[in-house]
Amino acid sequence: MAGGTIWKGAIHFGETSVPVKLHAAVKEERIQFHLLHRSDRVRLHQLMICAYEKKPVPVEAQTRGFEVEEGKYLIVDPEELEQTAPEGSRAIEVHEFVPAAEIDPIFLERVYYLEPDTVLAGYGELVELLEEMAIAGICTWTMRKRSYLGALRARGGIIRLTTLRYADEVVAVSSLGLKEIPVSEKELKIGRDLIGQLTAPFQPEKFVNEHQRKLQELIEKKARGEKIAVLRPKYVQPTASDQLLQALEASLKKVA
Amino acid sequence: MAAQGIWSGTISFSLVAIPVQLVRAVTPGRVSFRLLHSTDYSPLARRMLCPKEDAMIPPEEIIRGYEIGPDHYIPVTDEELESVTPERSRTIEIVEFIDMEEVDPVYFDRPYYLVPTKGGEKAYRLLAEVLHRTNRAGLARFVLAEREYLVAVASREGALALTTLHYSEDVLPDRDVVPKEGKVAAEEKRRMKGDIEKMTTEFAPDKYADARRVGILELLKRKAKEQAPVEAPAVAAEEGEGPPDLMAALEAAMRDVKKDR
Amino acid sequence: MNRQVVEIAGRRLSLANLDKVLYPAFGVTKAHILDYYRRIAEVMLPHLKDRALTLKRYPDGVDREFFFEKRCPSHRPAWTETAELLQDDGEPMTVCLVNDLATLIWVANLASLELHVPLARAASTETPDAMVFDLDPGEGADILACARVALVLREIISRLGLVSFVKTSGQKGLHIYVPLNLPGTTFEATSTFSKAVAVTLQKNYPDLVTAKMAKEQRTGRVFINWSQNDAAKTMVCVYSLRAREKPVVSFPLSWEELENLAGKGDRERFQVGHEEAVRRAEKEGDLFREVLTKRQRLPHL
Repeated sequence: MAGGTIWKGAIHFGETSVPVKLHAAVKEERIQFHLLHRSDRVRLHQLMICAYEKKPVPVEAQTRGFEVEEGKYLIVDPEELEQTAPEGSRAIEVHEFVPAAEIDPIFLERVYYLEPDTVLAGYGELVELLEEMAIAGICTWTMRKRSYLGALRARGGIIRLTTLRYADEVVAVSSLGLKEIPVSEKELKIGRDLIGQLTAPFQPEKFVNEHQRKLQELIEKKARGEKIAVLRPKYVQPTASDQLLQALEASLKKVA
Repeated sequence: MAAQGIWSGTISFSLVAIPVQLVRAVTPGRVSFRLLHSTDYSPLARRMLCPKEDAMIPPEEIIRGYEIGPDHYIPVTDEELESVTPERSRTIEIVEFIDMEEVDPVYFDRPYYLVPTKGGEKAYRLLAEVLHRTNRAGLARFVLAEREYLVAVASREGALALTTLHYSEDVLPDRDVVPKEGKVAAEEKRRMKGDIEKMTTEFAPDKYADARRVGILELLKRKAKEQAPVEAPAVAAEEGEGPPDLMAALEAAMRDVKKDR
Repeated sequence: MNRQVVEIAGRRLSLANLDKVLYPAFGVTKAHILDYYRRIAEVMLPHLKDRALTLKRYPDGVDREFFFEKRCPSHRPAWTETAELLQDDGEPMTVCLVNDLATLIWVANLASLELHVPLARAASTETPDAMVFDLDPGEGADILACARVALVLREIISRLGLVSFVKTSGQKGLHIYVPLNLPGTTFEATSTFSKAVAVTLQKNYPDLVTAKMAKEQRTGRVFINWSQNDAAKTMVCVYSLRAREKPVVSFPLSWEELENLAGKGDRERFQVGHEEAVRRAEKEGDLFREVLTKRQRLPHL
């Protein structure tokens, strides 16, 4: 079941207004660890220490500063900061529509399912149009004093709202300093055949989070006082450049 | 060195193994503030306190523990954590390839890039090029910071982009969100389509700025004009002299210098 | 906005507002600044290499507001080398490394007149390559007093077996560098050592020297700021311009020259302008080169 309603608002563009409720699409629960002192196994507390006095500073004596020059700060009043928070509103304002395929997945951040709120006004029509036209609505909205950029898309008869990262938060591939290295058509062909042989339909259910289960077992073993065998991580010998073709051919033989 | 990696190891498929580094593909864009002590404006640093000994604990004496009851913890060492799936902490082993179009974007979690390290450039280039031409992605599992991730390795502008995926058990079903059979009004749909067509353009992410960030920067600019910044005191304590040996050597040198002058 | 695309060492770079006056009192434009950094690059780049750059940008000139940036701007060109550093609060930060001429020109084009770098390289942020004494004259003291203190300081540490180098700060003070270049050196060691030196000088020349931060202690004295020996601090890079009324450079001097200048008593002669800096660097080479190579161990620690 989808998560409970997180927020209510209305999709807005032109003369259209579609009231919706947001539901989380992903829920994660992980085994939580705490930090302990090795010698006495006491749980540690986090403190903020004044670098000058070397003494802990309680929350009420902490303030926030923006570094304007080395060691020089502009003190920012939390109330003033609060005022820069965007105006609260219930509108998911669509600014434009774009071909959905043009949105590079690297921009996608968090997905919400949108449920029509009370009346079905416009929801069904919008779902169909988003699907038929293969488009996404680029929108902004404000939720809990934060402004978001997002994309409205449809899938399986449901409108989804995905938060988008801002362009300047995405690291450009060009900054990775990758070199152009020629690869022969023969190598590409074998690589292609190999990948073809190893391709399967995407079935995410196949991959359960075994690691969490094994971690749980490890903890239970330790709780019973059993000894844990420490295993060294496995290292794989990299394939040398001049052995690449051979390795590809051998791989293909293995899977064919 | 272009960017420094947060992990280094090997990515492999079948019998080919490529040495790589993992780097972040997104950087936080928010305006960052420092926590300061409100009396002397010295920056604050995070430290861990042992309440029993009432002492700060250095990182090498800190271990992780799992809570089994009030004040009862099972300690777990890094080595033990790594032993859970030792084969996955240094290797991203692609177990199969998938068609990227089949992946529901709801699975995408966090993006990274892989960058080849010495000797891996050619095989890296080959894998990136083949993935690009076939629009496929390699599926692998790998452990980063004590968590195991299902990841998809695809090509992006000539680079290998690694995206962690949510486990299907964590993706919530959307069935109960499905609207009850509502009728679609043809007239309403036509009108809406007209609006949409007028608003359709190309995706240009550069156009959108974070309104909050812009607001904070404006506030800071205004404040910089109104008030002088405060200054943090020198970090090292000013009291005390130095090791006695050094002080003695300096005093002796000082005497010689004065004698010569 | 006027733009001009140039090619530098195979990198294409778009330069903006070249005729903008950045030092209005002297009519020095951005074109002059870019030309200065292009011509000084050969001696300057080794001192910037692999160090996290702090930019101080003066887009509207030295008499207007400036921007202090530790983060490498996200609009950087593809070929800019960067490093990722962890801040105290655990947040990663991408910083620029000025490792080639094109990056230096790009940074200068951002009107970053002053280039500041830490004493450690980005790959080993806790290992200083040098120990520094930042000599700063308080009110009523001047660069001549600084020079006197610098000469005594040099003699004392040379008696402890350490070779040192000096540069002008480009403002009113002097910076003394003691090359170390040994793995395993810590900021704790360099700050302990430099503080002990500062305290000794203060004790012996109480009217001339103070080792204390407090402004009132500095009046009429030279403050030996040893607290710059800290991973979080940066120093203005040798050959960097300073954003003052006059385009003055932080420039290395030989000890003989400093002695000479101190003897002549002419404060103005300590100020090396950007044109003179290029002329002298072409003739004398890099007087600071050994700061990067000489290996020395701090004694008595």
